[in-house]
Amino acid sequence: MWSDTIMTPMVRLVLEGVAETLYMTLASTLIAYLLGLPMGIALVITAKDGLRPNKVIYKVLDIIVNIVRSVPFLILLILVIPLTRAIVGKIYGSTATIVPLVLAAAPFIARMVESSLMEVDRGVIEAAQSMGAGLWDIIWKVMLAEARTSLIVGATIVLGTVLGYSAMAGIVGGGGLGDIAIQYGYYRYQADIMWVTVILLVLLVQVMQFAGIRLSKKMDKRVR
Amino acid sequence: MEPIIQIRNVTKTFLGKDNQVEALKGISLDIEQGDIYGIIGMSGAGKSTLVRCLNFLEKPTSGTVLIENKDLSALSGKELRQTRTEIAMIFQHFNLLMQRTVLDNVCFPMEIVGRKRADARKRAKELLEIVGLSEKAKSYPAQLSGGQKQRVAIARALANNPKILLCDEATSALDPTTTKSILKLLQQINKDYGITIVIITHEMSVVQEICSHVAIIDGGELAEHGTVEEVFTSPQTAAAKKLVFMVNPQAARMQSKRCVRIVFSENSSFEPVIANMVLECKAPVNILLADTKDINGIAHGQMILQLPEDEKTAAKMIHYLKERKLTVEEVESYVE
Repeated sequence: MWSDTIMTPMVRLVLEGVAETLYMTLASTLIAYLLGLPMGIALVITAKDGLRPNKVIYKVLDIIVNIVRSVPFLILLILVIPLTRAIVGKIYGSTATIVPLVLAAAPFIARMVESSLMEVDRGVIEAAQSMGAGLWDIIWKVMLAEARTSLIVGATIVLGTVLGYSAMAGIVGGGGLGDIAIQYGYYRYQADIMWVTVILLVLLVQVMQFAGIRLSKKMDKRVR
Repeated sequence: MEPIIQIRNVTKTFLGKDNQVEALKGISLDIEQGDIYGIIGMSGAGKSTLVRCLNFLEKPTSGTVLIENKDLSALSGKELRQTRTEIAMIFQHFNLLMQRTVLDNVCFPMEIVGRKRADARKRAKELLEIVGLSEKAKSYPAQLSGGQKQRVAIARALANNPKILLCDEATSALDPTTTKSILKLLQQINKDYGITIVIITHEMSVVQEICSHVAIIDGGELAEHGTVEEVFTSPQTAAAKKLVFMVNPQAARMQSKRCVRIVFSENSSFEPVIANMVLECKAPVNILLADTKDINGIAHGQMILQLPEDEKTAAKMIHYLKERKLTVEEVESYVE
């Protein structure tokens, strides 16, 4: 087991920071996908040349996505404080940070999903229609299945972005590595701690990126 | 018996930003059960739009399409999807699911109709056997050649036992040898299962190879239709002539002197007709175009000959050819 010489309070703090950062990033990405994926699908389906064109639904979704996307994350973080308090019961800590992270990531995910699904060959969708496939079969078995590698690459990008946002939340006591960097590195001038957290953040992004790209390559059957 | 496909006054207008394009201008056509019906036209003639109207991938602007006496426009969404399972379609670019194995691609239409998985896989294996791709069942489409992809598409099209098979430029992306083998397969399917086949193409050679009937579409209108023999032997309209002669575009330049077009349809390919004619008439002819092939010992195809200036010899030659049961016609104004 780890001796006390390695497991100093500072190391323990940093490791907890890593755990919190992972928790915030993964939990909010997951919840954000529950919102963003259906939004992205709806954008593609209701678009002018989609399977069920619907000007009103498309326009409403499009505007919501654009508005949320254009608010800088740090501002959004502060703007949604009342909502965070209502949902979580407090406004600091990693669980509280999940609320603004989800709100910021969902529209971003909607756009990523939209662009992935738009890449699916129209001819293949037409072929499915010619076989008598209904809307749900086409969404699940053709669009999402055929776009899966692009969707995974998209998710990798989303993870990296959410991780960055989560670090930003440190400024208002959001928990995780970003919080440590600000508390110790910025307010107490402990540059070494700051560097350690930055390097850890970089490593986390690298690992996610590597794993995501690897997975998408493995699942892609188009080239061999 | 009623024709399996009845097209009545179908029009289709596409609305552009500030213009509208009339892709189809009132087409009526009957296709009988068991036919291999070629629909041919230059690109932009509207033939692809027409075939898409047969399964309502495109809804006609006006007019009706009856499949087995069912008016497609009168069907509900669900009924239309049900009917579509009986009208299979194959495409120029195959349109296979690239992330599924060959076997799973063939299973796909059966998943849509809710067939049991084990059942579907068994049927898919049989179908791959029919198209000669059993050993590729576990491959992915990206690992196949164009001809193999089209075979998979054909197996997939047959999965739900369709009554009609629509082919939209199905051989246009393939080389001549592969085209031939795919056409043979289609012919076999037509013979073995009695599936009515509609073939959209811009190549007369495809029509010649397997079709029983042909319709020529020109500028969104039906220019001419009938058995392949009728249309090929004596094309009436300018559009038809253009397509029949398209086999060689240079044909346009040969009009200076007296030319005849001869069509082979029942002659033995063992008889050297042209050579014998030259020997008999003791005058040379200039072969300007020759596109014949030997199908089961019978010569099929056409030639365009430039005859000698001398009226008498020319007349003798025409007489000689007619005597040998060849269709002979003088060609002058087959180009617009």
